[in-house]
Amino acid sequence: MAYQTFNRKTFDTFSQPMFFGENVNVSRYDTQKYKIFEQLIEKQLSFFWRPEEVDLSTDRKDFANLPEHEKHIFLSNLKYQTLLDSIQGRSPNVALLPIVSLPELETWIETWSFSETIHSRSYTHIIRNVISDPSAVFDDIVTNDYIAKRAQSVTKYYDDLIEGVTYYQNLGEGSHEINGQTINISLRDLKRKLYLTVASVNVLEAIRFYVSFACSFAFAERAKMEGNAKIIKLIARDEALHLTGTQHMMQIWAMGKDDPEMGEITKECREQVIDIFREAAEQEKEWADYLFKDGSMIGLNKDILCQYVEYICNQRLTAIGLDTIFPTKQNPLPWINAWLVSDNVQVAPQEAEISSYLVGAIDSELSLEDFSDIEL
Amino acid sequence: MLAMRDKKDDLDEFHLEDDAFDHQDFQLESPEAPASAEPAINQPELFLPLHNPEAPEDDSQLEIQGFEKPVYALHVEGVQQAMQFHYANSLLESLEAQGVQLPYQCREGYCGGCRTDLIEGEVAYLQEPMAWINDGEILPCCCVPKTPLKLKLKG
Repeated sequence: MAYQTFNRKTFDTFSQPMFFGENVNVSRYDTQKYKIFEQLIEKQLSFFWRPEEVDLSTDRKDFANLPEHEKHIFLSNLKYQTLLDSIQGRSPNVALLPIVSLPELETWIETWSFSETIHSRSYTHIIRNVISDPSAVFDDIVTNDYIAKRAQSVTKYYDDLIEGVTYYQNLGEGSHEINGQTINISLRDLKRKLYLTVASVNVLEAIRFYVSFACSFAFAERAKMEGNAKIIKLIARDEALHLTGTQHMMQIWAMGKDDPEMGEITKECREQVIDIFREAAEQEKEWADYLFKDGSMIGLNKDILCQYVEYICNQRLTAIGLDTIFPTKQNPLPWINAWLVSDNVQVAPQEAEISSYLVGAIDSELSLEDFSDIEL
Repeated sequence: MLAMRDKKDDLDEFHLEDDAFDHQDFQLESPEAPASAEPAINQPELFLPLHNPEAPEDDSQLEIQGFEKPVYALHVEGVQQAMQFHYANSLLESLEAQGVQLPYQCREGYCGGCRTDLIEGEVAYLQEPMAWINDGEILPCCCVPKTPLKLKLKG
């Protein structure tokens, strides 16, 4: 029952479900039950980047020249992303590692979490670069009501699962008297908590990040804060991969072959998952309202951003086999796709500015042509 | 400053509005912006690559005598226009070049953004797709047709 760091039992790894089977013993990757997680690990490793590789020198000047309401938009988004990645940098490890039963999935969770810590590091890199007192920004993350409200709905599923698993591993299933309170622990209930946690993480990576992404790219479309956009582009690339990871977990459960109970839970929780999506979409719309409270930015306003939330929400719902819940069918921000693309066009790297080759490249060359439309 | 003071003020000043100056005198010389070689195809959304992927490539080294590149008819539900896959590197590129807009993100099979229903036909994947695909779905960003295709877009 208690967690074992190295399981001494002999058992067939292939017959284990993804979670709540035997604790993992040997980290071997030559054979896998689900090879997708091994592929995800390799892909994630091939994406490796460091924030310091991206040159932010022009961003400092750009930021100083932004009007106040745009500074508010920029910093608020950074705060929110810092929060999300602070959560994601540790929670998958704390919540999922004690119950995972497949070595490739265990390593995927670790690789996934690790890449989130790089994202957190890059926010520090950006904030340190644009303002002189980073503490003012970081401190506000904990006290800002708009951020705290959304943080709560992200973390409650994690916290629920972690609490339940702790009791389960210490005391096992059944009814327990703890500090004068009766707590019922059943494996079925824990599996439901696990399912909802992964579903809410799926929503976090599928929707919550994209409002901030849209703003960062909207700045860069105007040739402002381009270094920041380069970093966000790398983060978006990672997040798309993480999203694929949680989508695979949910779809494997939905098939019911991995763990028949999880298949049933998928059916039972259908409405609840849709509600998680709906709640997230509503919160993101409220956030858009907060972002643009002092004024819109060129190319982006509250209405367009809200439509984008609906559009992306619909897309993510269909990806995990659920029906759409919003009428929006068209992407209201089609230019975003060009920013989200992972720059893997097959040309020789020296022929083009591919950001994966020149990780931190910003076009800082100036030619006479750039002045061609200027008249005195 | 000293040199300036030596000069007589009235000799040293001039006015932009003076008739003696032509507007042209203050224009920076700049080369003409190069006219785009090809008129852009109907392209409301940006996509990569920037050239038209369905245009034949003029490269004799890529041609093998006696082996014609196969052409497959494409049919997308709700799109009247006749389309075909011929020169493009992927189904997604081909569709975009012919005016069909699909959502996309990674363009290499791991995000699943371009997920599309395959109603009829068969495709071959150029690289193994990593995103989850249900039965009857394909990822156009990393596949090419093996037969004529009938597709239905999501949403």
